[in-house]
Amino acid sequence: MVFIPPPQLASASRPSYGEAYANILAAHRRSPLTSASSVIMLVAPDVDAVCAARMLADLFKQDDVMHRIIPVSGIAELERMREELTTYSELHTLILINMGAILDLPSPAWFGEFSTKLTVHVIDSSRPQNLSSLFLGGENGERIIIWDDGETEKLEEERKAWEALMYEPEPDSDEDDSDLESDGASEEEDEEEDVGGDYEDDSSPSGKRRSGGENGPRRRKRRRTDEGRPLRMSHADRDRYSSIINKHYTLGTWHGQSASGTIYILATVLERVDSDLLWLAILGLTHQYITTRISHEEYEKYHSIYYDEVFRLNPPLPADASSRIKSLHPDDQSIRATEELRFMLFRHWTLYDAMYHSSYVASKLGIWKERGRKRLSGLLAKMGFSIPQTQQPYSHMDMDLKKHLRSKLEAIAPEYGLVELSYSSFLRCFGYRSQPLSAADAVEAISALLDVAGGVRMEVEVEGTRNGGEWFGGGRLWDLQERWRGEERENIPPGGGAVKRKEKGNEGGEEKGEEREKVQWWMKNFWAAYDALSNINKLRSALPLSMSLHRAIIRQGSSIIDRQDIRTMRNHRVVVLTEGPDLALFSHPGVLSRLALWLVDALRDRVNGQSLSGRKSKRKSLPFVVACLNEKAGSYVVVGVTGAMDFGDVRKNEFGLAFLDAKERCNARTRHGSFDTSVIEINQADIKIFLETLAEDPEY
Amino acid sequence: MALSVSLRSSVTPPELELVASEQLIEIIPLISMDKTAFISGAYGPLRPPAKCKLPIWMATNLKLKKKCHIVPPAWLNVDFLQDRLTRETSQPEFCAMPFRFAEIAKIILDVASDDVENPDKIRSLLKDLREARQAKSREGITKLDHSELSLPNLCSMEINEIRPFFIRSMGVLTQLTRDPAAAGDA
Repeated sequence: MVFIPPPQLASASRPSYGEAYANILAAHRRSPLTSASSVIMLVAPDVDAVCAARMLADLFKQDDVMHRIIPVSGIAELERMREELTTYSELHTLILINMGAILDLPSPAWFGEFSTKLTVHVIDSSRPQNLSSLFLGGENGERIIIWDDGETEKLEEERKAWEALMYEPEPDSDEDDSDLESDGASEEEDEEEDVGGDYEDDSSPSGKRRSGGENGPRRRKRRRTDEGRPLRMSHADRDRYSSIINKHYTLGTWHGQSASGTIYILATVLERVDSDLLWLAILGLTHQYITTRISHEEYEKYHSIYYDEVFRLNPPLPADASSRIKSLHPDDQSIRATEELRFMLFRHWTLYDAMYHSSYVASKLGIWKERGRKRLSGLLAKMGFSIPQTQQPYSHMDMDLKKHLRSKLEAIAPEYGLVELSYSSFLRCFGYRSQPLSAADAVEAISALLDVAGGVRMEVEVEGTRNGGEWFGGGRLWDLQERWRGEERENIPPGGGAVKRKEKGNEGGEEKGEEREKVQWWMKNFWAAYDALSNINKLRSALPLSMSLHRAIIRQGSSIIDRQDIRTMRNHRVVVLTEGPDLALFSHPGVLSRLALWLVDALRDRVNGQSLSGRKSKRKSLPFVVACLNEKAGSYVVVGVTGAMDFGDVRKNEFGLAFLDAKERCNARTRHGSFDTSVIEINQADIKIFLETLAEDPEY
Repeated sequence: MALSVSLRSSVTPPELELVASEQLIEIIPLISMDKTAFISGAYGPLRPPAKCKLPIWMATNLKLKKKCHIVPPAWLNVDFLQDRLTRETSQPEFCAMPFRFAEIAKIILDVASDDVENPDKIRSLLKDLREARQAKSREGITKLDHSELSLPNLCSMEINEIRPFFIRSMGVLTQLTRDPAAAGDA
């Protein structure tokens, strides 16, 4: 594999993003069999990936490159897709977005067997990256290109260690393998087996070799080139190298530069940036920050870059403050920098609701208790907002209250422990079609679409129903088709969409119909989110969906805390959801992760009154494991989330490995549903023993 | 324009737009291109930043791919349109406008509104012009004659709008004037 550095580190001998892109174009133009399947993008279902896919698609469209975008939900799906891809003869470029960094791509299990004219580009923000993907050279390795953000330069140690262990016979490499993620593990084993096969001259046997002593003549030629060097590394060296590699993989998972940020850099190199691409890059970055994948400092680092870009690309604003938050003219599509409050969707909700539903406020004030809610109202009252005012949707609040909101918050909120309530972010105008939308709100809407646009019943509040408005009876069922039916009246076949769905169900029998529906719902969600990126009306109509999603999360979270359902183990906390009104909703890993994050934030400084033994740090924010029952599938979806010490900080997520360990030790039947290794699906019968094994894990 | 039943059999506005796209317009290219032969003729070479004349269909294609800037034609600015509007509202005849101004203005405002100065003012002026001319067309219906109809300075879209109606009504009027004359003779 080759990893390509970002342009600032590039030089004549080290091509960077621009050259890689030019190669894609060249391959597209010169191959005679070019068709729509020549360039395929496999996209993971998260906001950052969707934005990156859209940006890349726009760049391709401008260059007249025919391409295809295929959403892929998880590793299993990726394997299935790989099978299908072997049949495409005209494929010459494969781009993986936000997936695949941890996979050993040159191995035969993945892309080692594909034809040599295929290049695989990996644009992934998750770390750690697979060392073979990064460092393996040779004809096989050169085809895989990982777009890196500069962090790999610092992996010199790991590189030396990897090369040493790779090209020298080493009997102890097994230790590295057992700690890797499941797919990575099997691939690494295959590779190491090959290398170890010819060490019969080595006098130190390996008792741990799984395949026994295979004396195949494999990799002879590599050995011949090594003859000049000592054939056997000292044990100390070997141990050192393997411990370095071990450390690289077992530190946990974290995230690097967002995929959309990477593509924005590419666009800058090509000198084709414009407001749309910048906005999408901002969305990707904000998504990473909001879901606590990156820390506040990293966010600031990228933010300052985008801040400069915004000023470069957009005309300067008139100085008066009120025009900053509205569109100046109908064609105004500009992006503006603004200070964003940490309240969830506060411009679209009542102020009280926005504060109630933001996890930051929740933790400081203890929202789930009645006492906490009173404190919240007290805070608002102190700031001079009367109760009826705070129950009004934000757009109906008094103008002067809105203007002074920020200053009042800064004055009064520190009394309640709410500091750092705002962070700098951006908002975008959409002409006169709609109010300017902030980046955080857009990210919330898109991730709501990705998670729950279809496939689960969601009730959405209609504005005006609260407090017995005109329309009695809470909400309306959110229906993807119905929401957008107004726009596409002519495209609905006679009989409506319901008929089509029924037909699909009856085609392949009950089971297949359900499976196909299951496959379809996340694809539909993906395309719904993709469309919403360019269509402001669709994006806006997804905001109520996001709001009801948050409501459900708070409801569930508060009930969990109220019922004291959290069991605290030595190293983490566990919650198991087996019943409740929203169970179907929480069996989706995305929603479940959000619940876990909310719990982590809410309980950050609490429930640690139980004295942990003094050897660990006194104030510890314990990681959370949340499991939810999926009745239909008869399994539990388990999500592990690490909490950091302070708000805005991030810790590496070690659950991927912990889960793997526990699974191996208790032989549970599991499945990795998504690309995130900290999400796992366990068979219903095995959940108890799995959780116990996880709890008694000595290493973790 | 909302299409009534009578118009659905005639040329539609998008088709008129396509026909109008053949006209040449000036662009500032951002890429280089040699003189290339297309079906309708040879265009180019494109040497930034020198201006060049291309058909509108090609200009919009390049603009959408961000490879050029479109230079609005001389009549697409606030002063010119304002002047025509005042003339339109003060005189009973139609004032002279480029024949396909509606289609070309629409294309340019859709694709390249950032290249046009003050696009929303221009949009509102165009709207006012259309309404003024439409009012005059409506008046003209009352003066319908069976034999001749002379409407100087009427533009492509407007002609297309009134054509089906006027043709049929003139046909009917011809019949009416012929028959009474025949009846009168007989």
